[in-house]
Amino acid sequence: MSSSPTEGAAASSPAASGATGSLEVVMPQMGVSVAEGTIVEWRKRPGDWVAADEPVCDVTTDKVDVEIPAPASGRLERILVEPGATVAVGTALAVIDAGARPGEAHPDEHNGQPAPDQGGGSPATEPSTADGRTDRSGFYSPVVRRIAAKHGINLARVKGTGIGGRVRKKDVLAHLAQGGGPAVSQEPMLHIESPYRPEHATAPAGSGSPGPGAPPSETATGLAGAVRREPMSSMRQAIARHMVESRRTAAHCTTIVEADFSRVAAARGELRKPMARRGVNLTYLAFVACATVEALSGHPRLNASVEGDELVYHEEVNLGIAVALEDGLIVPVIRRAQRLSLEGMAAAIGELARRARERRLEPDDVHGGTFTITNPGQFGAVLATPIINQPQVAILDLEAIVKRPAVVEGPAGDAIAIRPMTYLCMSWDHRALDGADAARFLGAVKDRLERWEVRQ
Amino acid sequence: MNAITATRTPAQAGEMTYLAAISDALREEMRRDPTVFCLGEDIGAFGGAFKVTDGFVQEFGAERCIDAPLAEGAIIGTAIGAAVAGLKPVCEMQFADFISCGFDQLVNVAAKLHYRQGIAVPIVVRLPSGGGFSGGPFHSQNPEAWFLQAPGLKVVAPATASDAKGLLISAIRDPNPVCYLEHKGLYRHVKGDVPSGEHLVPIGEARIAREGEELTVIAYGSSVRLALLAAEELDEQIEVVDLRTLCPLDREAVLASVRKTGKALVAHEATRSCGVGAELAALIADEAFEDLDAPVRRLTAPDVPIPFSPPLEHAVLPQLEDMKEAIRELLAY
Repeated sequence: MSSSPTEGAAASSPAASGATGSLEVVMPQMGVSVAEGTIVEWRKRPGDWVAADEPVCDVTTDKVDVEIPAPASGRLERILVEPGATVAVGTALAVIDAGARPGEAHPDEHNGQPAPDQGGGSPATEPSTADGRTDRSGFYSPVVRRIAAKHGINLARVKGTGIGGRVRKKDVLAHLAQGGGPAVSQEPMLHIESPYRPEHATAPAGSGSPGPGAPPSETATGLAGAVRREPMSSMRQAIARHMVESRRTAAHCTTIVEADFSRVAAARGELRKPMARRGVNLTYLAFVACATVEALSGHPRLNASVEGDELVYHEEVNLGIAVALEDGLIVPVIRRAQRLSLEGMAAAIGELARRARERRLEPDDVHGGTFTITNPGQFGAVLATPIINQPQVAILDLEAIVKRPAVVEGPAGDAIAIRPMTYLCMSWDHRALDGADAARFLGAVKDRLERWEVRQ
Repeated sequence: MNAITATRTPAQAGEMTYLAAISDALREEMRRDPTVFCLGEDIGAFGGAFKVTDGFVQEFGAERCIDAPLAEGAIIGTAIGAAVAGLKPVCEMQFADFISCGFDQLVNVAAKLHYRQGIAVPIVVRLPSGGGFSGGPFHSQNPEAWFLQAPGLKVVAPATASDAKGLLISAIRDPNPVCYLEHKGLYRHVKGDVPSGEHLVPIGEARIAREGEELTVIAYGSSVRLALLAAEELDEQIEVVDLRTLCPLDREAVLASVRKTGKALVAHEATRSCGVGAELAALIADEAFEDLDAPVRRLTAPDVPIPFSPPLEHAVLPQLEDMKEAIRELLAY
């Protein structure tokens, strides 16, 4: 996790009841481009012990998910913002009682009565319990995990009586014996990691659409046969929102040119090994990115965005690269891409893709793009009509590069040759430009790729 | 059997000490099988340093209860020769510590003859082991781990009077060389019902000495007694597995118990590193990992020689309080 959310969260202010050492967990400033965030999940519930810097909840900012760390060790007193709600940066999310002492009885044991005041004990700074042991409440032994998996038990709901609050085998067995099976909870679940999570009966706050747990119509189920339902991940929901929004906003057209990658392939063959020795993986995408950035400098109408009735032309090329993740897609941005050499471009793409797959992107990494390239071609598709990443005006799609018979002109006239060919498909916004602009720009990209010379 | 020896025989059934049970087993087998004989230092006329063979010369004659010179290599070497020739010798090391002098004969000859030449070596080497009586570094050791690394040897370590007899008879009848560890601290402190006559305890079979649900103490020899006492005093759901045989190990019994309880404490008086506890911890981690609720713990002597000084020896050897503390900690984990 980046340092910025940590710093943001650490800048917590004493709550109104500050006398008891209560601290607020606030929605942190997650980079300059983010004004609000949505709670995805609470990892702790009221009464849980939290250690300083331990993640207490997950927040999504439409683009990336971040963990919000606890500003101090203590007892999570109250949760102020429920999952699904979107709040502005700086909003208090929860209150932590930093004066609480580890090892104190969980408030649940007092039938909802607050824990007795400990008379201003100094705030613990280490995740340790009353007997001086390290807090182990989050550690589950192999047998505990096995039993929980078998019976679908959410271990966060099992009271641990071992050293440091560990959930022991006997605890999970006792939980089972008390009927603490998978789906008997009365209060709303705050943890979503369990596939057995009961669906929320109400839609998340701030969302007009029916919740993911809307009961299926019996008739529909009957006709469709057996089904499996799962809630959309927050990333999936964000993608859905953005795509529908873009379709409604922009006047999408798609223009396609065919490009001969012979020279790019030759250049790649020549440069690949030396770059690999320097730790850089030279992909075809890097060539296309370079050609695109160069062509954009001569075609500013493509490096633009639409804001109301205005066209905004960008001096820098902030190039978005779509990266496929297991359950979605994210578009990190290479800033000022026009300053990069081919090798620099390849390195930047590799670095962003790696961080995206490791879920280590920061919110600013996915904002401020001026043009986007998407490249799902490794699966063999040859054509696509992508949806524009708003508020940009165009998106270039690079699909598979395949060997095809091509007519080539030589001194002896036309001939048929086997050439690595691809289609460059670009969707563009007819509000901002016209077909001729798109074709000219694509022609420029194609031209650069077909006349590629080793310049490194 | 003649009338004189009959009067010297302990009570036919019922309670006897661990020491008497060893004597009883030897006597039973020597009476049953004329090829069984004993040899060792001072075991004849003197009756043995601990009086295990007291009266044997009178009953069986000096040729079947041989006073050997102070040469363990010669004692074991002679026994190997006799065994190869068809006899069943039982060697007594006066103290288990002294077996180092007979190490080559035991480890390189006895243990390997079967593998090299297909020749059985049915000898038993009795090893009075263990500390607790200020015997110092040469008279207090628990050397079992040495022999667990010599394939071809069987190693047994009874904890009760009944097992002392049953395992010794099984060891004598076994066609392999068997190291028989008899803890000196148990000789007169442990008493129990011992079946009279022929009583065999199979080699390689552990015993559940106490049943429980929450923690398994795996022990052998003197540590079984400590574990049972601790379990009694703590009054918790503790299972005690008495290994009885260290090689071949009753893996199934150990794993079944640990799978049930999820927590294992291996206890022995021998030193810590590369010992039986280490082997069992590895076995459990390997084959019962998904059933573990806590780390496998060991209660052992530290890796030092046994001190002569009584307070130091007390500090080095695992005591009842140490056992209770180890159990309490693991239960709470």
